[in-house]
Amino acid sequence: MLEPSLDLYGSTFDSVDGILRELLAKSRARYALIIDRKGFVLMHARALWAPRPPSLDSFATLVASNYAANRAIANLFGEEGFKETVQQGAEVGTYLEELGAEALLVTVFDSTAQLGRVKVATKQAADAIRVELENATEAPPDVDFDAEFQDGATALLDGLFGTRDR
Amino acid sequence: MSTINFSAREINFKIVYYGPGLSGKTTNLKKIYEQVPAESKGEMVSLATEDERTLFFDFLPLDLGKVNGFKTRFHLYTVPGQVFYNSSRKLILRGVDGVVFVADSSPARLRANAESLRNLRENLLEYNLRLSEVPFVIQANKRDLEDAIDMDMLKRVLDPQGKVPFFEAVAADFDGVFEPLRAVATMVLEKLAQKA
Repeated sequence: MLEPSLDLYGSTFDSVDGILRELLAKSRARYALIIDRKGFVLMHARALWAPRPPSLDSFATLVASNYAANRAIANLFGEEGFKETVQQGAEVGTYLEELGAEALLVTVFDSTAQLGRVKVATKQAADAIRVELENATEAPPDVDFDAEFQDGATALLDGLFGTRDR
Repeated sequence: MSTINFSAREINFKIVYYGPGLSGKTTNLKKIYEQVPAESKGEMVSLATEDERTLFFDFLPLDLGKVNGFKTRFHLYTVPGQVFYNSSRKLILRGVDGVVFVADSSPARLRANAESLRNLRENLLEYNLRLSEVPFVIQANKRDLEDAIDMDMLKRVLDPQGKVPFFEAVAADFDGVFEPLRAVATMVLEKLAQKA
């Protein structure tokens, strides 16, 4: 049995999607993302007015790595982690909240949003998402990553890399 | 462990290139980036020092395409090889699905190869993983060196039990770059199928 990294599907997915959209509306932030601590994007929402985001793969990887590095720095001083992770540039900033042991909620905002409002809205959203995840009872969809999946993926690997190096 | 995103219908795997400093880990990723078609790759991110030594990691996302309705993706990472960046190496290994160990064929780097492999084992244990449980291949890089160490010797040092797939490479010339990646990716998929 394969376990997803976070129970984000079915009605839980819809509820969390609603929470992310409410977060964007309340905070006037551009984007809200849930990423796992390995750096993969699990969910994301974008304000209607926001410009197209940069590569979400790169962004998620850097956020997760930065979070891990900050946590390691905190550990050096006997802290479990830092309470807040805020980054602010001239135009754009990010604010991060933990979602349990596996995931992170990150909000990206620009100079039109107030940091205080972003923090409050993100914390509220994180609390609401934690509740949703705790109450999630729906079983994951039944998908078999079996030999058939392996054969299909291997064929694609051959297509991408060829059967020889050159 | 692979990350399955049911809502986006994606399955993601993390492959880490490990090995001693200057063995060619970043070169591997750069060559993969150059050779893979644009529609199958994302941006390559490198966190490097001013003299282009890896400081934290290099990152390259590869998109294999859809299998059984699931977008299948491999995220490739390198670690910094220099001994004193061990904290960074540990962080990058979190959630690893497969490892390509890039060994340096220079005789002077034989000891560094062995130490890096021991370091890999130690760092995996931090995540309660044994190297024997992780899809793992070794790429013997820089085979074009005039004094390249004998392959049998390298195998005896790095894999005395003869259980690990070895690949000879000159990564800078794009020789033997895809083979170890394809091999470890296949092993990762096999492991997933066994668990299903």
